Amino acid sequence: MIAIGIIFFGALVLLFAGINKEEARLKTLASVIFGLGGFAIWAESKNIINTDQLFAWVPSGMIAFNPTAQVISAILAFMAMIVVNLMPAVNRKGMDIVGLMMFSVCGGILMVGAQHLVVLFLGIEILSIPLFVLAGSEKDSLFGNEASLKYFLMGAFSTAIFLLGAAFLYGGTGTLYFHEMLLRTSFSEHFGEFPVLVKAGLILVSVGLLFKVSAVPFHFWSPDVYEGSPNRIAAFMAIIVKIAGFAAFAQLLSSFAPMQGWYSTWMLPISIITVLAGNIAALVQNSYKRMLAYSSISHAGYLLLFLFQPIQENFQVLGIYLLSYGLGTAILFYLFDKYAKSEDKSVNIFTGLAFSNRLDALALIVATFTVAGIPSTIGFIAKYQLFTSAFTSAPWGVFIGLLGSAISISYYFKPFRVMFKTESDSQPSIQFSWSNACLLILIASILALGLFPVVLNWIF
Amino acid sequence: MLSIFHSLEISHYIYLSTVLFSIGLFGVLFRRNAIILLMCIELMLNAVNLLLAAFTEYMGDMQANGQMFVFFIMVVAAAEAAVGLAIIVMVYRNTRKTDVSFLDQLKD
Repeated sequence: MIAIGIIFFGALVLLFAGINKEEARLKTLASVIFGLGGFAIWAESKNIINTDQLFAWVPSGMIAFNPTAQVISAILAFMAMIVVNLMPAVNRKGMDIVGLMMFSVCGGILMVGAQHLVVLFLGIEILSIPLFVLAGSEKDSLFGNEASLKYFLMGAFSTAIFLLGAAFLYGGTGTLYFHEMLLRTSFSEHFGEFPVLVKAGLILVSVGLLFKVSAVPFHFWSPDVYEGSPNRIAAFMAIIVKIAGFAAFAQLLSSFAPMQGWYSTWMLPISIITVLAGNIAALVQNSYKRMLAYSSISHAGYLLLFLFQPIQENFQVLGIYLLSYGLGTAILFYLFDKYAKSEDKSVNIFTGLAFSNRLDALALIVATFTVAGIPSTIGFIAKYQLFTSAFTSAPWGVFIGLLGSAISISYYFKPFRVMFKTESDSQPSIQFSWSNACLLILIASILALGLFPVVLNWIF
Repeated sequence: MLSIFHSLEISHYIYLSTVLFSIGLFGVLFRRNAIILLMCIELMLNAVNLLLAAFTEYMGDMQANGQMFVFFIMVVAAAEAAVGLAIIVMVYRNTRKTDVSFLDQLKD
């Protein structure tokens, strides 16, 4: 809650403060707001501060953060801070883009803490509506227009499906609170049969959320939208929507835990198809950005493998995976944005990178290792924990997941083939800049968390 | 008034709103004009509103949770329509049409 308050009021201040200023000048203020919000909610999860009194007016039980949900909210805020700091600002006046990003993060945090269907719905909408605008923030680009319109139509469509499911769940259980839904479903488990309204509602609500996290039968919009939107917004969408969507999905499914045997029968095929189709489609992509989009689809598949089992006890495995995914993806989008200046968007943009810019080359290697799950990075720890905890309920799913990771190596490592070719005779020059400092911090944290996973226990 | 409500079974309301929802769904899938797509999405949302109102009435929910949900859906639908129409105007300025057939440039 405290993070939503800080980021929301911070966004208002920022919008007014930045009316006539260049975006780059207020970057520091924006990252202070994100950092403060993220730190506050993390401190709350560690009982360093307590803000229950401050938010006593919130109807009890509608929004509730358990400690892991608080850490995931903090990850959301810090990821937004990383995206704002790492990627270059647009060259025009006004802070509207960063302001909209902040409102979007507020919606994401609301989704993570939602314990009531109305709050979950509002969270999804507050997350999405700013993103429709952001995707089209380059108003003159036809690709941006297409991305924005496509994202809007798909988002509104999936919202409608989600809402029909929510209405069915309300009709089937008679409540909108997640904890009461858990009671009702355990009750009907006792009688042996689940009401058909609840089953239909759960399917429709899941379809709505699967659209948002771009799982495979509902993924067709995401590569186009990522490719058409500006790079910064694409990175933001890939990271924030996925973190918030999966945290909310996990909370929702865990309130239908007694039906687990039933919903895993259709969740398992979806996750297997997502892993395979995402990885195989990424293999044949020419554009590096489209490849990143398909790789994020395959990550959604690994996460779905984990979702359909009892989650309460190892909710933090989800948090660790989302953290590693976010760190790696942010760096890869930054490097793509930096080097894709011409028409060529394939991996050839990285030709000779190892000689022209050592820091960026190191960042590319580390980030690729972490999204591919190579040991010594946090990506390995995350994937290992995810697969070991999914193994008990879905051994075949884990097997497909490992196969998918093996396929993914071949497209993730494509840049390495051209990276060490000397083509440019430009002098290696690394001057200090704010983005380089951020990049160093990110590389250090990926390696530190991978080599000393004990730190994760301290974070979560 | 209440007796009119209860003289029909709840299943009729479920069928009616499912049919309305499907009309909207097929409209979204098969129509080509972006403004009509927006109208179809509104129809889907209104089908959900009808269903929520009927469920609240039939379950005798004293707190009227479902009917509160309807108001939230109406507000969000208005916000969505505002953003959606703005996006359609932006597209119209660049392409001089509101047809979704323009949504196929991002294929490689």
